[in-house]
Amino acid sequence: MSDNQAPAPLSSLEYHVLLALASGPLYGYALKEAIVEESGGALRPRAGSLYRVLARLMGWGLVEEAAPAKPAEPHPGLERKYYALTRHGWDALRQEAARLREAAVLAERRLGLAADKA
Amino acid sequence: MRALFALAVRAFPRAFRERFGAGMLDVMLADYDLARARGRARACAFVVATVLDALVEGVWERIAPAWMDPEARARARRWQVKAMLEAWKRDFAFAVRSLSRAPGFTLVVVVTLALAIGANTAIFSVVKAVLLEPLPFPNADRLVHIGGTAPGMDLREGLGVPDELYFEYGESVPALEDLGLYGTGSSTTRVEDQVEQLFFTRATPSFFTTLGARPLLGRLPTEEDDDRVVVLSHWLWQTWFGSDPGVVGRSYTFARETRTVIGVMGPEFRFPDERVAFWIAWPLRAAQVTPGGFGPSVVARMAPGTEIAGLVAQLQPLARRVQERLGGPAPYVRIMERHRPIVEPLREHLVGKVARPLWILMGAVGIIFLIACMNVANLFAVRAESRRRDLAVRRALGAGRGGLVRSQMAEALLLAAGGGIGGALIAWAGVPLLVHAAPDAVAGGFRSAPIPGLAAAGLDTTVLLFNAGASLVAACAFGLVPALRSSGAGLLASLRQSGRGVIGQSTLARDALVVVQIASAVVLLVGSALLVRSFWQLSRVDPGFDTEGIFTFQVAPDREFADRASLSRFQYAFMDRLAAIPGVESVGFITLLPLDEGADQSFVTTPRLEASGAEAPLVRHAGAGGAYFQTMGIELLSGRYFERVEEERGIPNVIISKSAAELLYPGEDPLGQQLRPVAASGDTWYTVIGVVEDVLLDDLRRESPEPMVYLPAVAGSPAYVVKSARADRLAPEVRAVIREVIPESPMYRVFTMERLAANAMASLSFTMLMLIIAATLALVLGAVGLYGVLSYRVARRAPEIGVRIALGAEGRAVRRMVVMQGGRVALVGVVVGVIAALGLTRFIETLLFGVQPLDAETFAGTSIVMVAVALLASYIPALRASRVDPVVALRAE
Repeated sequence: MSDNQAPAPLSSLEYHVLLALASGPLYGYALKEAIVEESGGALRPRAGSLYRVLARLMGWGLVEEAAPAKPAEPHPGLERKYYALTRHGWDALRQEAARLREAAVLAERRLGLAADKA
Repeated sequence: MRALFALAVRAFPRAFRERFGAGMLDVMLADYDLARARGRARACAFVVATVLDALVEGVWERIAPAWMDPEARARARRWQVKAMLEAWKRDFAFAVRSLSRAPGFTLVVVVTLALAIGANTAIFSVVKAVLLEPLPFPNADRLVHIGGTAPGMDLREGLGVPDELYFEYGESVPALEDLGLYGTGSSTTRVEDQVEQLFFTRATPSFFTTLGARPLLGRLPTEEDDDRVVVLSHWLWQTWFGSDPGVVGRSYTFARETRTVIGVMGPEFRFPDERVAFWIAWPLRAAQVTPGGFGPSVVARMAPGTEIAGLVAQLQPLARRVQERLGGPAPYVRIMERHRPIVEPLREHLVGKVARPLWILMGAVGIIFLIACMNVANLFAVRAESRRRDLAVRRALGAGRGGLVRSQMAEALLLAAGGGIGGALIAWAGVPLLVHAAPDAVAGGFRSAPIPGLAAAGLDTTVLLFNAGASLVAACAFGLVPALRSSGAGLLASLRQSGRGVIGQSTLARDALVVVQIASAVVLLVGSALLVRSFWQLSRVDPGFDTEGIFTFQVAPDREFADRASLSRFQYAFMDRLAAIPGVESVGFITLLPLDEGADQSFVTTPRLEASGAEAPLVRHAGAGGAYFQTMGIELLSGRYFERVEEERGIPNVIISKSAAELLYPGEDPLGQQLRPVAASGDTWYTVIGVVEDVLLDDLRRESPEPMVYLPAVAGSPAYVVKSARADRLAPEVRAVIREVIPESPMYRVFTMERLAANAMASLSFTMLMLIIAATLALVLGAVGLYGVLSYRVARRAPEIGVRIALGAEGRAVRRMVVMQGGRVALVGVVVGVIAALGLTRFIETLLFGVQPLDAETFAGTSIVMVAVALLASYIPALRASRVDPVVALRAE
């Protein structure tokens, strides 16, 4: 079904969710922290936005619920849910990374040329 | 703080919350702890931003859900569709059962809808065939008809374009891509043993290229052809020649001369109308044209992107330029100086005056549709009201609002489908009747033509789609609103109420429905009353001749006559035979019959006018013979009639009409005076020997009579007039005489004068008849609507009325109360209707005659009728109310 397919390119938040989960299954707050850190603080998603992106990625079949990589630390309150990449999730991340790399190479080449001229 | 966040999370739909709610809350609280550690202000800003984010995302999630795992989604969709189909099936089955338990209700609704939808479908099929179907020519939107007028001259409208102006248009108007000249006539056509008077069109080769015509067989005329070639219409080829392709190249007698068939047109090419049997090539060359005549019509193709106003501006200066270059007779010059081109889209020219009556009818049946929907909506609302408790119980047992609406819509859709099918049947039966009853596009005898495209009206896919659409709209109009209202808020409250008859807030809405119904009925009543009065006035117009007991026909002798005298002798012998038919009182003839062919027109002058140098006036003229004036009952005011010898020898005597006498010889005795046509070569002066009463020539609506001059005539194929009490049954006997005297000649244009007078009113009488039907339907439906509402109210108020009666109220007082209620609603409806009619009657203004569109008497009269009918409709429920038995009514509590 067409509405189940991930669009290319991904939004930067979507990309960073996949990127963070590539380090292993994470629960909500840990995922958020990873995104803030890996984006250099450019992305600071709030709970509503984060979980809606997460839900969308699950809908596209890129992310799934999973068991934690190591046994969870004891945590008060509700049991935490962990999220991990699916096989499609890895593919999507790879594709997006390649796309970003190409774009970056192009940008650098042009910047380099501009610098040469200068 | 947790409670606030939890509240914000509630903005998300439940499915999302169940899956991610805890995680979101977790993240929010963890972040909040961090923010609080960095100060109050930070914490506050964080809370506001986080809550806002959750609200916005939550609402978005509700609109465009991101969450739903693929399987669940597919499952849900499958389940939804299946469940919906199941539910509809159940509801339809239920609706069938419950409707079959209420056969009266079902019948009334289906019949009402069938009438309304049928009327709309029928009229729409005609509107589509005549007004919406594109003309059967390529790029027909660029085709125009060009005519002319000369303001300030007393000329009949539709002057035409003189030949030389046609050439000027062709040469010097860049906005015209192509243009052709054509004129129509009728003449005897003979193919082997078949002889008939047929319509034909004389057309330049460019006429065909302008219309983008292609022949079915053979070829079309070119500039090299002379007028000895014809192109056959498809119908003539089929009926007279048995669709024989070998006809091309053969020669027959077309329009009295031997001409060769060079082509056959396809069935779609019917121009200027479907009566045309063949087209004769018209080799017109600019060099041969002499200025002086206005006759034919011009059809032209505008260059792409040309506006009509722009084209008119380009054509406007050419008439004067042509006249300055070529000169011409003085009256012609005067016309050309004032000549103004009239450019109309071709469709408008062809459809002529029927477009307006058709749109009026479409509007009228639209109003009927509205009234019918309101009536049915009222019935539905009453039905829904009585099932309120039933619906409330279903709601209380867990049925969703959608389900309740659906179950009521199922009934509405079933009824509308019944109405739609009934309507299609009515239209199927009614369209042929409508087509048959429709008047000619152009009224008035010879120039009359059937409405183009009308014959093609019928039920096709588009019309059936319209029918289905109308049914669906009806179902929504009368089903959805009551369904929504009776399933919505307050439904459960009705469970708590007892059955006590509290008049709901829906009273106002229902009264409003009745007001609109009555107002619509008033609009239609006023319209039809104005048309009836016009018809009455028009039928009392005195045309100056008798219309009763006169039979008329035309026939052309089958042989040529050596001279005027022998033709006259033949005509008198023929008229003697006619006069010998039992019951025939007198016989005469005229070259052009009033109300059929009208009369010619020419400029005439008198010795006095010539001496003074004044402008020669335009008069109408025709040649009369035999006992024409006596037969037609045209009164002789002074002088004498023509004598036979004057006709035989063509003695230059004339009889003139009263208004011609006043125009040409004001204050003088016209007898013995002289006149002569301006254009005539030579200087033969005609002597006035008689003055007769004025007659109306073209139609009955002309206010002032036109001056008319009669010449003594002999003519090849005049219109004979025969006075007899048996005028309407004379045709077979006359035909028998013709078979004896001139067996080879066809008899044509067979009418009674009564029929011609009726034809002249056909457009009005047709529209009037249709509006009367619509208005009657509206009146009845409006009365039924009012009756229904009052009956319902009386039934609901029975306990209250019972108490009143138990407390000693008299029957009369109760009756008055109910009738007053109905009267109040009706009065408001009448006022609204009158206001609407004040604005709407101008649409029928062109059809009116002798009555103003805002005629006070008509408005007052129809208002009184409407109020009277409304009071009558209220009286029956009132009677029922006054007979309420208090014991029964109160026990029902």
